[in-house]
Amino acid sequence: MPGAVSRSLRSPRVLVALGLILCIACCAAFAPLIAPHDPADQNLLSILLPPAWASGGDPAFPLGTDSLGRCVLSRLIYGARTAMTVAVFASLGAMLIGSFLALISGYFGGAIDWIIGRAVDVWMSFPPVILSLILMFGLGTGLDKVVLAIILVDWTRFCRVLRSEVMIVTRRDYVAAARLLGFTHRQTLIREVLPATVPLLITLVSLEMAIAVVVEAILSFVGLGVRSDQAAWGQMIADARQYVYQSPSNLLLPILAIFVAVAAFNLLGDGLRRTLDVRLAEIGR
Amino acid sequence: MITSVVTLFGRRLLAAVPILLVVSALLFCVLRVLPVDPAAMSLPPTATIAEVEAKRRDMGLDQPLPRQYLIWLRDALHGDFGSSIQFRRGAGSLVADTLPATIELAICAMVAATILGFGGGLLLFRVRGSVFEFITDMASILLLSIPEFLWGLILLFVFGVLLHVLPFTGRLAPGLSQPHITGFLLLDSLLAGRADIFISAWQHLILPAAALGLAFSPAIMRVLRSSLFEAYHEDYIEQARLRGLSEGRILLGHALKNAALPTLTLAGVQFGFLFSGTLLVEVIYSYPGMGNLMVDAVRNADLPLIQTVGLTYCIVVLLINTVVDSLYVLLNPKLRVR
Repeated sequence: MPGAVSRSLRSPRVLVALGLILCIACCAAFAPLIAPHDPADQNLLSILLPPAWASGGDPAFPLGTDSLGRCVLSRLIYGARTAMTVAVFASLGAMLIGSFLALISGYFGGAIDWIIGRAVDVWMSFPPVILSLILMFGLGTGLDKVVLAIILVDWTRFCRVLRSEVMIVTRRDYVAAARLLGFTHRQTLIREVLPATVPLLITLVSLEMAIAVVVEAILSFVGLGVRSDQAAWGQMIADARQYVYQSPSNLLLPILAIFVAVAAFNLLGDGLRRTLDVRLAEIGR
Repeated sequence: MITSVVTLFGRRLLAAVPILLVVSALLFCVLRVLPVDPAAMSLPPTATIAEVEAKRRDMGLDQPLPRQYLIWLRDALHGDFGSSIQFRRGAGSLVADTLPATIELAICAMVAATILGFGGGLLLFRVRGSVFEFITDMASILLLSIPEFLWGLILLFVFGVLLHVLPFTGRLAPGLSQPHITGFLLLDSLLAGRADIFISAWQHLILPAAALGLAFSPAIMRVLRSSLFEAYHEDYIEQARLRGLSEGRILLGHALKNAALPTLTLAGVQFGFLFSGTLLVEVIYSYPGMGNLMVDAVRNADLPLIQTVGLTYCIVVLLINTVVDSLYVLLNPKLRVR
């Protein structure tokens, strides 16, 4: 395992991705220190200002203001906070539920496997977008609800991929040896099977983070994501979409932010997949 | 041959029915346990409690949940999906009005994804082993990481706002009215003999269809590339080379022919995802299809409409998967013998 870590850290993809993610994470963590304004502060006398370097720009608002006179830079920085929170908690939550079910499903097989397998089938016959919209309708808006909705939609992603991996690992000799040594099922699962799936899990989590960022942006964009007093990239896009001609930069900046975050997580996932030698034939979208 | 196709498809379709029943029951339960009262919502705010109770009885909401589901199922099988609270119209007819627009968009997007996917796949395969491989490799990862939501916004920004060459709102230019024949605008405008409407409809379709096509083409690219690699291990390639055929001729005339069908069927699974992806693109481009209807319904807590539209998406996706599945078996002789 330490060998795999140092191998990963020498991969240019992983390094570039980690650098980008670190930048976004810093923005998210130190948002109150970096942001020049409160992201919810409205300044109705200076709405839709262009960036400071353009003519008519105000140095107090480096990237301009939106339709309510809120500072775009501050909202971008606080939006990073929303996006990163959702990315981390949603992907970890989906991983916990999905991998727990995959472990018992792939390890024990039989009736448990059949039930979990059918549940995944039915779950996946709902298009993810539709399912998350319906869930958000039921749960109401808010950051925690967005996280919960993504967990409830995406646990199947982990369950399906991990289950087949667990089935392969379970048939290995060292797992049989552990059983012969008198390990209980729980000990075997936690000490022998689970560690063998860690590279796959890490890769899946980083890819899931990219998905979570997009889903959060989508839900905020249609107005069913975080509460309206919280800054989110999707909300900024929805607001800017109405005033594209007056202020195109307001549309471009949050798109760029989402793109950089998504590309970074995907690059990380791709780099990890290569260096950790994970077989990931088909993971779906 | 034709009968075997029909029986195969019929069998697959039958297999999809239990899934559909479970899905519809789940959808029904999820929407019913919510703290929303459809009876109170479908009456004016001045209604008395007695009136709401009467309406509840009338709508069957006082019955136990399984009973309610059976009533709903019976009505649905008769084509009655309840009426939308917000539009005061049958939810079924609202879906029927918007479905053609969404199908039209989805078909154009599928064609775009196939063209882009095959072009990109051939390019990826052609540059194998050269200095360009690294560049195309990175580009394909980058492209893969852009979902349809971002493509929609990027294309809107570049071609709609920056270059100002294509419209990005709605289905037709303002002032033009849609001829109502089949609901498929491209077809209707031709049937009505209106070239101006046809052109305007195309202009409005290009950006959303391209956004979806770009988002779903990388999957086709990768499958095609690996199918081509596989095909190049076969003896007939070496034979063709010995016969003195040019590399281009071998690639397009021999390898592609054999790699195309598995690619299309394998990539066909993506079309199910693509169909549900139309929802976001429709919202971004204010395209009057089923996606905007769904978002509208969710925003206004319009339960019967959410249920109907949600179910329609599930049915279409299941149908696409069934067709693709049958095609896959059909085109692969190894799987055909039972």
